[in-house]
Amino acid sequence: MEPIREPVRVAAVFAPGRQIRPVWFDWQNRKYTIHETTYCWKGRSGEAMLLHFSVSDGSSLFELIYNTIEQSWMLGGVEA
Amino acid sequence: MNRTILHIDMNAFFASVEQAANPALQGKPIAVVGSGGRTIVTTSSYEARAFGVKTGMAVWEAKRCCPSLILVIGDNRKYQHTSTQIMEIFRDYTPEVEVFSIDEAWMDVTGSINLFGSAENIAYQIKARIRHQFNITCSIGIAPNKLLSKLASDMQKPDGLTVISPEDVGRIMERMPVGALCGIGKNTVRQLKIMGINTCGELGRCDEGRLTRRFGIIGRRLMQMGRGKDGSAVIPFGEEDEVKSVGHSSTLEQDIDNPQEIRRFLLQLSEMVGSRARRYNVSGKTVTLYVRYADFFTSFGKQTTLKNYINLSDEIYKTALSILDSVELEQPVRLMGVRLSNLKQQAAQLPLFEDERKKLFATQAMDKVNSKFGSMSVTFGSLLPGKEKGGSHVIAPAWRPSGIRNVDVK
Repeated sequence: MEPIREPVRVAAVFAPGRQIRPVWFDWQNRKYTIHETTYCWKGRSGEAMLLHFSVSDGSSLFELIYNTIEQSWMLGGVEA
Repeated sequence: MNRTILHIDMNAFFASVEQAANPALQGKPIAVVGSGGRTIVTTSSYEARAFGVKTGMAVWEAKRCCPSLILVIGDNRKYQHTSTQIMEIFRDYTPEVEVFSIDEAWMDVTGSINLFGSAENIAYQIKARIRHQFNITCSIGIAPNKLLSKLASDMQKPDGLTVISPEDVGRIMERMPVGALCGIGKNTVRQLKIMGINTCGELGRCDEGRLTRRFGIIGRRLMQMGRGKDGSAVIPFGEEDEVKSVGHSSTLEQDIDNPQEIRRFLLQLSEMVGSRARRYNVSGKTVTLYVRYADFFTSFGKQTTLKNYINLSDEIYKTALSILDSVELEQPVRLMGVRLSNLKQQAAQLPLFEDERKKLFATQAMDKVNSKFGSMSVTFGSLLPGKEKGGSHVIAPAWRPSGIRNVDVK
């Protein structure tokens, strides 16, 4: 996966039971609709809990990262 | 009362997680490698294993076995998170879960069978939950002890479930090669072969005195293993023996022979060891330095024991450096490791002299910032990015879901 690490605009559904489901995101003036979240995992950077989502738009795989302290989204990487 | 022990072994764990995370990799030969450019295969998918790709192979060697091999750079945090969640699933069935490594665990379900019907039921539920939640598979062995359950889980891979009941033990052990038992390594197999012992059946029938003369005190244990006997308990996390050392090692991205770069890398490792020791309030008296040379096969390890207990990074560094200065490096360095052992729980004590106090306060401030913003957010100026930075971090077998053995590797 090619690392990107850029802040991105993400639409996500925060469902009951602490479930977060990213729906779409903007990157480089293009909107990507998420077809599938293939994997989720947690990590830490100091005090910040980072939630990682492997998502697919049907043709490429992306890694979206949600920083729970800053409440910000980042595009971690892309696999074309 | 007969015990019932489950051994769960995640199949090609890192590779399976990568295949689950990236559907394009499913059904393809993949190898998980470290982030360094020239590392070895950490694990490979079953599709790659069919071509002869094995754990520990150099990347070029693996590519020669399987030209279509896809290399995936491992993401240790993904594996640690998945492993921690899986261990949590195990704890839904019994509190007696012993984490053996990131992808293996034992469960003593003797007291849980009445609740869940049977050990097989528990195994099937675990397999289904892991598959549903993570889309990966595991092999489970059910047996009357840890030794046999581990043997059973190895008998059917991937996605197997093997039961060794007490009445089957003799029959199964009779023809089982001794090397199949956990704890009997290549060296022991070789020595047993010289004695004319190839199978567990032969080992179990061997005269105890003969084994003791050859292997010392473990001779009796070997004989018991040959008979499929193992009285060791499943030791839940938190009840293990105290941790005996804190260490870090790392393979460099490229071999280095410049003394300044070697020292800088040593400082980086010392800081990693020191910060982990301080986080868990331990200090140690013995510092060990381990170096592997560029040819991969030559290495040395040397240690020194101090009068005082230390855990400040610069003290660990100075001690490791004094070891390094006492040897002449024969070749460029491929891998280095620093370990602090002879540990004790640290009681907080303010140093008497002001300079020492300042150093302690500066270290505490640095640790505080790093715990808030992430490790190495504030570090020594000389550790600013250099040629030798990075390296490939591997999850050690001693990794545990939490506590001092939970090493945060990137």
